[in-house]
Amino acid sequence: MNLSSKAEGDALVVSVHETRIDASVAIQFKDRMREETDTADGRVVLNLSEVDFIDSSGLGAIVAAMKQLGGKNPLELAGLNENVDKVFRLTRMDTVFRIHNSLDDAIVI
Amino acid sequence: MLGTHPRLIKPKADIHIELKGTPTEVRNALETLRHKLTAQEFAACNAGVLEIVLAEVLNNVVEHALAGRNDGQIVIACNYADQCWFVEVRDNGAEMPDNQLPDGVMPDLDRDLLDMPEGGFGWGLVRSLAQDIGYNRHATGHNELSFRVPD
Repeated sequence: MNLSSKAEGDALVVSVHETRIDASVAIQFKDRMREETDTADGRVVLNLSEVDFIDSSGLGAIVAAMKQLGGKNPLELAGLNENVDKVFRLTRMDTVFRIHNSLDDAIVI
Repeated sequence: MLGTHPRLIKPKADIHIELKGTPTEVRNALETLRHKLTAQEFAACNAGVLEIVLAEVLNNVVEHALAGRNDGQIVIACNYADQCWFVEVRDNGAEMPDNQLPDGVMPDLDRDLLDMPEGGFGWGLVRSLAQDIGYNRHATGHNELSFRVPD
């Protein structure tokens, strides 16, 4: 599970360099998120622009990552493609996460 | 509409995929599906919704019907007609609890952030996106799920 992170303005941007977050990698995703956000101090933006598919297990892993970060470090999302966005909307998780239209939008704020 | 479903397993489904019941095989099968869907004859189809539904159906089979088994077999047949995918999925796993399909009610999100559910969305997604969902438990010990996904 290839993730990288970089401080951008007031946010820590974690980019997922994988095309899928699904049941076969959900646990690795959670573990890698914990490692990448270990030192987070403020908002964390998950950049999903390289991801073209998530299933409900992948969604659950993103929710788990949000909970690991706790209330002090809100997890926000950017770069959702149409199918990924659909999974968030149908489960109403789009009401739980702040979703930015693009990574640029997420950083400028 | 149920009566109009093409029957499984017709000798030559538009898309026919067989897999073992593991998460990695599910991923490979969905990648195969996507590859087939980009072939010329289906290039105009909306593959995304079909992929979401099949992912949730297959994950459910692997995590529940085939839990603890290492001899799980799944067969998928997809036929395209009238702007619609007709899909049948067969597996050799345990039957659905009470021989019934899950109701697919989405988990309640009206709760504290740190209590948000991490699962339970799968059948909600299936019910949101698929239509005419049918389930049969066969005496041969197989489950057969059929549904259609409008393109």
